Amino acid sequence: MKTKSPFIKIDKISMWYPQKSKNLFMSIREERKWIKAVDQVSIELERGEILGVIGESGCGKSTLGKVLARLENPTNGDVYIDSVSTKELMKKDTKKFRRMVQIVFQNPFDTFTPRDTIEQILLRPLKIHGIGKTNAERREICIKALESGGLRPADEIMKRYSHELSGGQLQRISILRSMLFEPKFIIADEPVSMLDVSVRSEIINMLLTLSKEKNATVIFISHDIALTRYVSDKIAVMYLGKVVEYGDSDTIINNPKHPYTQALISNCSSIDPDEQREIIKIQGEPPTPVNPGPGCYFASRCFKASKECFQKYPAATEVSEGHIVACDRWY
Amino acid sequence: MLSVKKNTYATFKVINGDIQLKLGVFGILFLLLVGILSPILAPLDPYHYGQDILNGLGVNGHLLGTNHLGQDVFSMIIYGVRTSLMVAVISALISAVLGILIGGIAGYFGGKLDLIVSECINAFMMVPTFFLILLVIALFDNSITNVMIVIGLTTWPSNAKLIRAQALSLRERTFVKSAITMGESKTQILFKYIIPNGIFPVLANTTIGMSNAILTEAGLSFLGLGDPNVISWGQMIFMGKQYITSAWWIATFAGVAIVLTVTVFYLLGDGLNHVLNPKHSNGKGGE
Repeated sequence: MKTKSPFIKIDKISMWYPQKSKNLFMSIREERKWIKAVDQVSIELERGEILGVIGESGCGKSTLGKVLARLENPTNGDVYIDSVSTKELMKKDTKKFRRMVQIVFQNPFDTFTPRDTIEQILLRPLKIHGIGKTNAERREICIKALESGGLRPADEIMKRYSHELSGGQLQRISILRSMLFEPKFIIADEPVSMLDVSVRSEIINMLLTLSKEKNATVIFISHDIALTRYVSDKIAVMYLGKVVEYGDSDTIINNPKHPYTQALISNCSSIDPDEQREIIKIQGEPPTPVNPGPGCYFASRCFKASKECFQKYPAATEVSEGHIVACDRWY
Repeated sequence: MLSVKKNTYATFKVINGDIQLKLGVFGILFLLLVGILSPILAPLDPYHYGQDILNGLGVNGHLLGTNHLGQDVFSMIIYGVRTSLMVAVISALISAVLGILIGGIAGYFGGKLDLIVSECINAFMMVPTFFLILLVIALFDNSITNVMIVIGLTTWPSNAKLIRAQALSLRERTFVKSAITMGESKTQILFKYIIPNGIFPVLANTTIGMSNAILTEAGLSFLGLGDPNVISWGQMIFMGKQYITSAWWIATFAGVAIVLTVTVFYLLGDGLNHVLNPKHSNGKGGE
């Protein structure tokens, strides 16, 4: 195997939604408008790496997660896992793809169908993928998994319905169920934002330990910057569907180069109360994702913006080893 | 086993809590019992044309009198339960199965298919159903089987609309998405997640559909398009109307039976609607 090719390569992936025109007549005359939820995102990740994706609401973080898990088919681009195109894999062997890529959802209360017990919920995917020969064997696998996740007594929990369990327990089950497939790539879409603060760290640690055990790559989507810093090796900052800055998490947090990242991080409260930080205030709201541009999407709110910023979207420049910034005025 | 026991108990509690549902359930049980036990309950064979013609109430041991052909009205009413229940259940079943499948597929798969199917549903809803049924029955044989099939085939659009709306919202729910990531196929998701979770409004609608089917069958019989070989309440009214001044009991008791049966089905449907509506549900969150 080539040493150069990364384990997971997200190659210019885009998710555009057509904007529905209210007027049929207009829609014929006018060019079709697109909402660019995710636009040409390229990221490379190694085995076992954890990537944090941060950005404000509506910047396309969750859409990126959905596209990576193939809950939606991307308009453009592809993802390569171990040099295998997932586009091809989806056509040839959907089940294999599903075993390789798993997603942990934001809302644990809605992750399981309300009509089944946990036992039925856990056994079903095993049966579909032919893991374990008999039901008794599959049950054994599930019990082992639940107990390893600290859900005791597993027997009792498996008899319950999802509405009879707490959010923390459900999210654990959700993570454990995903891990049953030994996935290579896990997408965690704000896995703790709906949980009580008291159980968050347990869930996060469990996700981290398990993914480390299986040597899986994790994409951790969150808007909690402090948490993302703690969790991830790399951080990607998204703004309006594009990655504006990407690099090692410590570099991004301590030395952000993109004005948007600087504003975002300056507004994030630090644990250290004595730390003096100048809060950068930015004006207005993000522009609409319908045909934005032509300049830098952030230019209208940027405190560094110059004339050139409104004319052409800045190219990504590598400011230091592995630290990429999509801004022409980063220095 | 324990959970089965618990579920039965919970069901009892729910039924007990809603007066409409309680009346509806007991009414249906009563009707079913009468339907099953009609040969025992009926004092005389309703298909037997006796000598006592147009007897009044209680005359010659005929509790509700006889009609112009000498049939015992009380026995006819008891046997009529069978016809009504059969028409109600079978036509509603046809309508429910068709509606669930068509609406579920349209709502879940969406896109162009949904557009086409939705327009078909709308077109079907615009058809004046009763006249279509009349036409079909008049053109083809007016057997009870035809009546049931035609009622079923013309009433599915409301069920389809209900389940389509459910499917549209259910397919965006996280548990459907998580089922997709677990590698379940579209058919599995449709039958395992979409339909079972979206079926409640259809169930309630179907029970109300049953009462409509009974009314439709009675209406057809009243117009002389019912099955002449089967005893039905509509037919009794049809035949009794000529004698309404001299032998009022023939049409009246059949009419009362129809009203009561339809009311029972309505109560059941309305009660189910109340209980199954998540806003009224108090069973969530454990005991």
